[in-house]
Amino acid sequence: MKYENLNKFRNSFSNYTELRVQENRNSSINLTNGDVTGNTSSQKSGVSARVFKDGNWGFSSNPEINTNSILGVVKASTENVQFMNKRDTNKCGYFLPETMANNDIDFSTNKNKQSQKYWLDFIKEIDGYIEKTYPELLSRNIGLGGLDMEKSLLTSDGSEAYSMIPRSIFYVMLSIEKDGNPVSIGNPWGGLGQLEDQFYNPSDYFNDIDQLVDRLKQKANGIYADAGYKDVILDADLAGILAHEAIGHTTEADLVMAGSVAADFVGKSVASPLVTLIDYANTCNDQTCPVPVYIDDEGTKSEDVTIIKDGILKRFMHNKDSARYYEEKPLGNARAYEFSDEPLIRMRNTAFVPGTSKLEEMIASIDDGYYLVKTGNGQADSTSEFMFAITMGYEIKNGQLGRAIKDTTISGIAFDVLKTIDMISSDMSWSSAGMCGKKQLIPVGMGGPAIKCKVNIGGR
Amino acid sequence: MDKNEVVDYCLDSLKKRGVDKSTCCLTVSEKKELNVENDAMALLRTTFNTSLGISAIKNHKKASTSINKTDKNSIDEAVDTVIELTKGSKPDDAYDISDKQPKRLFSKGCDSADLDIMYRSLDEFVDYVKSTYPQVKLEAAIVDFNHINSIYKNTNGVDFQISDGIYSFSPVFLSKEGDKTTSFNYTGFSTLKIEKPLYKYAMVDSLLRESVEQLNTRSLDEKFVGKLIVTPDCIETFLGFIINDISDGKMITGNSIYKDKLNELITNPKLTLYSKPVSDEIEDGYFLTDDGYMAENSTILDKGILKTHLLGIYGANKLGKKRAVNDGGAYVIGSGSKSYSDLIKDTEKGILLSRFSGGNPSNNGDFSGVAKNSYFIENGKIKYPITETMVSGNIKDMFENLDDISNERVNYGHGILPWISFKGITIS
Repeated sequence: MKYENLNKFRNSFSNYTELRVQENRNSSINLTNGDVTGNTSSQKSGVSARVFKDGNWGFSSNPEINTNSILGVVKASTENVQFMNKRDTNKCGYFLPETMANNDIDFSTNKNKQSQKYWLDFIKEIDGYIEKTYPELLSRNIGLGGLDMEKSLLTSDGSEAYSMIPRSIFYVMLSIEKDGNPVSIGNPWGGLGQLEDQFYNPSDYFNDIDQLVDRLKQKANGIYADAGYKDVILDADLAGILAHEAIGHTTEADLVMAGSVAADFVGKSVASPLVTLIDYANTCNDQTCPVPVYIDDEGTKSEDVTIIKDGILKRFMHNKDSARYYEEKPLGNARAYEFSDEPLIRMRNTAFVPGTSKLEEMIASIDDGYYLVKTGNGQADSTSEFMFAITMGYEIKNGQLGRAIKDTTISGIAFDVLKTIDMISSDMSWSSAGMCGKKQLIPVGMGGPAIKCKVNIGGR
Repeated sequence: MDKNEVVDYCLDSLKKRGVDKSTCCLTVSEKKELNVENDAMALLRTTFNTSLGISAIKNHKKASTSINKTDKNSIDEAVDTVIELTKGSKPDDAYDISDKQPKRLFSKGCDSADLDIMYRSLDEFVDYVKSTYPQVKLEAAIVDFNHINSIYKNTNGVDFQISDGIYSFSPVFLSKEGDKTTSFNYTGFSTLKIEKPLYKYAMVDSLLRESVEQLNTRSLDEKFVGKLIVTPDCIETFLGFIINDISDGKMITGNSIYKDKLNELITNPKLTLYSKPVSDEIEDGYFLTDDGYMAENSTILDKGILKTHLLGIYGANKLGKKRAVNDGGAYVIGSGSKSYSDLIKDTEKGILLSRFSGGNPSNNGDFSGVAKNSYFIENGKIKYPITETMVSGNIKDMFENLDDISNERVNYGHGILPWISFKGITIS
């Protein structure tokens, strides 16, 4: 649903204005022990405008998309900023940095779109394989979902952009009973692209599922981690969430302005010299990232943000307002989730840059520690203190992988933990199954190599 | 078409297409939202939205769709979509819709926002924080008013209309002084009318004061097993495990540890837990269940005995168990016999937990995570705010080892919650 002629509304702008027409389309199927427990689709579209004047913002949105509603949201958001300006006169004379960019990007599939029945049959085949091969499982939960985000943007600075960025995710969650208690494990697959460009044959996933069941059984027989401050290897998924949660959020400029500890660290050593951490805009090593952003929702061209270079904190991620405050150039981090959301400073594809070590060498270098493979959820703090749930991991004893561990949690102060990194693997993998929550949800990519560091691990 | 005609047209279209049972819910909302960012008024948002949700069951196959348009073409397309989705689905006798109930109109709160009161309250709040707690930085503070008009009908003759307007406030803050930064904290409440300064609602003022105290935290230098006193702002984090375990998802998969525990003691008898979505004491409740039944108040735990699972129509039919009379939420915990200060006095060694940053508990209830914005308690006294402290245990054991519940409770508009102390928690 590309809105072709947004430019005709330019004359209705009387201040700095962003005008966005957007449609989000979701589809979702879920099987629980073979029964269809979810079979839905949804469409949400509309138009919004955001206006800036004298340090205040006005925003308005409407689900109808026609000339009257578009003129209406420009008028309403202008009236909203006037309401604010009338009462708040402290910020007269604030001007946003001007950015202008034009881009059209469309990741829609070129293949024939398949019906939801096709996709239900797709996951039924996978479910059938699991049920037949592993009758000992307590439960099987399989889901498949797609999200298309399609935006048309016009700004008073002269930016015009169209983007259609789809994401497709397939996930499996399995459980088994051990000593009367259920033990579970899950895994997502997918990323950028519509379902037709992500998933081809159900049998492509059988090997991965075999490995997942192996791990589930190892975990069911697993031991409690020995709580304490330990040497650990964070595999790529965990390194990615460390990059995103613990460092990324702490260096979003709005959170820095709010008092994040990173405010004091620009230009200072915050990590081992091995560490370089980048929020990629759209491309990494000539490959399109999981969540490519070419022009953000303020009309700024998206460029990579090197947050940490060789251990030194270099810069924060900005929108136009924080770039004004810090007198820096915005690099396209302002994104909104739905048509009725205003753009916020968001990460795009945040990752550690790979090093030179091999995973085997890293494991061999630890006498008593853990190799942590999968994470459930993670949270971070203004202090850079973070917590990640660990849903799969192994003990390391005398340089060898040992028994699996039960679910646990790791924590630490990120800017301290980064200083303990002494090995980074040479490989790199991305994940993009998650949504980042910060007033609004938004799809993000995160990734990296495996890293060796010291953290607190929970347990008994 | 007016709103009623939209819903009727939708149900008629589905009926003409041979659907056996269907539901349609149209919600039209308007939201006013004032935002403070980084200690200053920043943004006023006005958003309108429409949601038309359609569910259909045909030949025991079910599907649903939602759109945010109400014109005839969009509805026709949505009906086509949901019919197509049902065709592709798999039959299941457990699918159903709500039974016929008396037609009702529900109404609560104002029809429109008082924007002047919203602005004045938020502006006064910013001034109050600046003058009373100069070290506190307001990362964000949002006052909003959301008004919805909703029509829910189904082919069994259910016909409900709702008009609901409510204010909410949610601040996120931390303290900063020199090179010292505290953990962020947050809270929130809902109310039908703003009748007093925002800092006087719920725990807002206490949490701001504590944030300043937390500029000077200390690490615990030992691992011990002690008491955990969980504050009203944090207790739902732990209740969530029990709630999740008695709800459809975990019950249907068989992963719930409480699946066969109806009418059995599952927590210490001191705990009584209600869900009161239609109680006068809960301003931000709800009138209907997601499945289209009039919501009723319920007792989930009566002196520790599990009195109901929280199953919807599908879960109840699938498991041959009783449907719950509400969707949970609007939680009210019965008050205990001791004062909050006595809970502290009775603690030899433990922590006062104000926020918990933890992983989702394992299916067996094992959990661990970081104590945030929390305090060390020793010999009956709060000693100092702590940092880098991990809390671990098992939620099932924790509620069995519940020690005491305070007689003071905090009303958040969407729940009424006390302080609760638990024994036998590992703190490191």
